Amino acid sequence: MKKITTIEAENLSITRAKKVVVKNLSFAVKQGEVFGLLGGNGAGKSTTLLAFLGFLTSTEGAARINGVEADVDPAATRRAIAYLPESANLYPHLSARENINYFLSLAKVKSSADDIEMALNQVSLAEEARDQRLSSYSKGMRQKVAIAVAILRQAPILFLDEPTSGLDPVAIDEFNRLITKLAKSGTTVLMVTHDVYGACQVADRIGLLRRGELVGMFEATNDARISVDEVHQAFASGA
Amino acid sequence: MGSLFREIKFALKDRIVFICLIGVALLSTYSLVAGLQESASEHAMIERTNDLVTQDRQYNLAKQSDAGGAAYYSFHFAYDPPSSLAFVARGVRDDLPWKHRIRMLALEGQIYETDTGNPELSKIGKLDFAFVAAFLLPLLSILLLYDLRAIEIRNNRWAFLSITVGNGNRLLLSRAALRSGLLYISLIVPLIIIALFSGAGFSGTLLVAAAVALNCVFWCLLAYWVFTRIESGPTTAAILLGCWFFLAVAIPVGGKYAVEKSIKVPSGGEILLMQREAVNDAWDLPKKATMTPFFERHPQWANTADVTKPFEWKWYYAFQQVGDQTVEPLSQSLRSAIARRDKAMGLVSLASLPLLTERLLSQAARTDVASFQRYESCVRDFHQRLREFHYPMLFGEVEYSLEHMTQLPDFKPCL
Repeated sequence: MKKITTIEAENLSITRAKKVVVKNLSFAVKQGEVFGLLGGNGAGKSTTLLAFLGFLTSTEGAARINGVEADVDPAATRRAIAYLPESANLYPHLSARENINYFLSLAKVKSSADDIEMALNQVSLAEEARDQRLSSYSKGMRQKVAIAVAILRQAPILFLDEPTSGLDPVAIDEFNRLITKLAKSGTTVLMVTHDVYGACQVADRIGLLRRGELVGMFEATNDARISVDEVHQAFASGA
Repeated sequence: MGSLFREIKFALKDRIVFICLIGVALLSTYSLVAGLQESASEHAMIERTNDLVTQDRQYNLAKQSDAGGAAYYSFHFAYDPPSSLAFVARGVRDDLPWKHRIRMLALEGQIYETDTGNPELSKIGKLDFAFVAAFLLPLLSILLLYDLRAIEIRNNRWAFLSITVGNGNRLLLSRAALRSGLLYISLIVPLIIIALFSGAGFSGTLLVAAAVALNCVFWCLLAYWVFTRIESGPTTAAILLGCWFFLAVAIPVGGKYAVEKSIKVPSGGEILLMQREAVNDAWDLPKKATMTPFFERHPQWANTADVTKPFEWKWYYAFQQVGDQTVEPLSQSLRSAIARRDKAMGLVSLASLPLLTERLLSQAARTDVASFQRYESCVRDFHQRLREFHYPMLFGEVEYSLEHMTQLPDFKPCL
């Protein structure tokens, strides 16, 4: 079966404060694929992500979700997206369960209590913490709740911005396994990160961004994951 | 409906919002109860004073043997009772007199020679519901709304929220509307309960509720407009507080200053002095100097016997009236200037919603300048009725008797 393209940057250029931050960027991510956008600080990866989320307008080219330009109809493209920001601070005055129920209600997604428990189990959030207010949570625990929301939204496309930031090594492994599982079930994932190791662990393809331009593309094969050394060398050579 | 309950639950789970709303409800209740107590104390004072003045009049009348003495010693209590909604707004009730002890002497002096209570207290003003609803409500709106978007951005939640809901600004508009709605309910529910128990009129209460709603909606939309354009909470708060200062302080104060500078109002003291001088001078002037201008107003008495004795009551009351006639243009100009100032402040209030709200509430409570002027006009009408009752006795058309004095006009407030 031919997989369809769900995320596409076509000659995408973005200027912010009179500075070209993303230049002529083109790539496409197919359904069920995990694509890592890797780059150092100021490489333009977060700007690219914001364009796909509909928060920034492209100067040239287009950022498309399911063929629809994100800056033209952000409300429509966002319906297909779940987004996990770096260190998402959900509402501190609500508990994990309340936060999840609240966000699912905002997204008009119906989930049973069992579904919610299953998602919280998947992200390994301690059972005794689930009814505590998030104000008492660590950064990693808060991130787990946000991940649970993203899972439960069951959106066909998942955008991740430095998703494992703040998570402990065990939680990172669990998270990576979860992303792989979601991708296998058909979810398309675009992950923005500067963590070479993490990206290589989970991504099917990695695009290397430098000063807003795509300078390298690495692809996993059926037999092997992307080589950390190879990516690291390319990453470091331009630094 | 489900999303409404979700957002209500969400808002009330926020302790700051919850505490703020409870505080508003308490403040609203306090201002209303204080207003209600003030009205009750005014009613009690009216009843007590009315009884005392009536007893005093009857006691003195029993001792009188002629019409002049009867008119001289007959005091009447004139008053403007607080309306059923007076507890909502004090208006000008602390600044301008709403009660007088009137007799058939020159009226202008009696109107402007008055005790307005504690002048220092009236300068500070009282915390009434109108002040809370017109001037404090915007500050409370700002407190509840300024950080709605900034807190989401600060906590790195804005993008997450926007993606989840599709249109983050639409969610924030509904949150702002809900918080404003809860603020409005906290403010207005005590009013409705107290209005129901105190028997305040439905239409007046509705007008008050509508005026407060208008103020609430305006600040909600203004806050939304600002916070969707500014990312920083403190900057949003500063801009909104600047708007509040401009609309609730600068325009009313500047407008009042400009109106007072451009429309000069003669002082009541000036009228009092001029009228007293006219009355006192009359003692030394030929009787004709008093009777001629008096007969111009009352030609029906022109053919009565001349004043020949050193003192006659009809001459005495004639120069009292002539004293009023002397200051009539000044008094008229005072009243018209007050009305013009009030009209001008009405125009100023079109540029300041808090001021407009306060004026609408005072209007509904009948504590505004127009109500004060209606009361003053009521006192003038009553005094005119007193003259019409006493003059026929003084000029010999009707014979003085205690029985006839039972028909003495009684002051009835003009509602």
